[in-house]
Amino acid sequence: MAQTAAAEDPALRERFERDVLPMLPSLYAAALRMTRNPADAEDVVQDTYLRAFRGFAGFQEGTNLKAWLYRILTNSYINTYRKRQREPQTVDGPDDIDEWYLYDRLGGRNVELSAETEVLDRIPDEAVKEALESLPENFRLPVLLADVEGFSYKEIAEIMDTPIGTVMSRLHRGRKALQRALWDTAKERGLVDDDDA
Amino acid sequence: MTTPELHHNCDETLRDIESFLDGEVDVVVQQRIEVHLSDCSPCMKRAEFRRHVKVMIRSKCAGDDVPPTLERRIRSLLDEPPVVQ
Repeated sequence: MAQTAAAEDPALRERFERDVLPMLPSLYAAALRMTRNPADAEDVVQDTYLRAFRGFAGFQEGTNLKAWLYRILTNSYINTYRKRQREPQTVDGPDDIDEWYLYDRLGGRNVELSAETEVLDRIPDEAVKEALESLPENFRLPVLLADVEGFSYKEIAEIMDTPIGTVMSRLHRGRKALQRALWDTAKERGLVDDDDA
Repeated sequence: MTTPELHHNCDETLRDIESFLDGEVDVVVQQRIEVHLSDCSPCMKRAEFRRHVKVMIRSKCAGDDVPPTLERRIRSLLDEPPVVQ
């Protein structure tokens, strides 16, 4: 089927520049969390833009542009980057971690919530990014898509081409692993006392 | 169907809290949890903590400066997209 590429259709190209180019910062940040290094993130984002530009004529205006782009980004990451890296696919989850791991360790005894949340707020941005990036890919992607990008379970299922039940279970386990990673980084930085852990 | 009660108990609330905070529960469950939280400060505190973690992750994982070279490469991509293989 011959498709009119956005490159040959000024109106389409204009719409691409208006709607898709401004997504670059968030797509690049997501690609960094996926690939965990700037050079690969750039490759994935560039490939994403190329695929999106080529396929833009087929995108239905008024439908979910952000989810459409993140699906392309995720596919681009999985197809190009992961094949190259041969990152082992972790299936096992952090099953030994309690759902309230972080809450229990950060206190949970004070009447006021502020003591616990202040510790979290003091963790530097870079350390939180590293904590997220430390998760195995199966768990990192759902947490990234849900907590950073704000996608719904259904959208994540479509973006990752994964059943919604699997998304929920990986998200749940990924968040538990992230709690432990955040606790570890807070501890390393001396933001918390490790008396009782 | 079980007898409809006005609110979740603590166990039910904590079981559903993750989906609740994700905005993924139906309106009945949402109301049952909200009623419980308004009446149970330990559960409310846990819920607020989890909400705070979500907000914190979102705000701290967002800002990465886009390399200017990448932006330029993408713009030139639009002018001269590579020929499809």
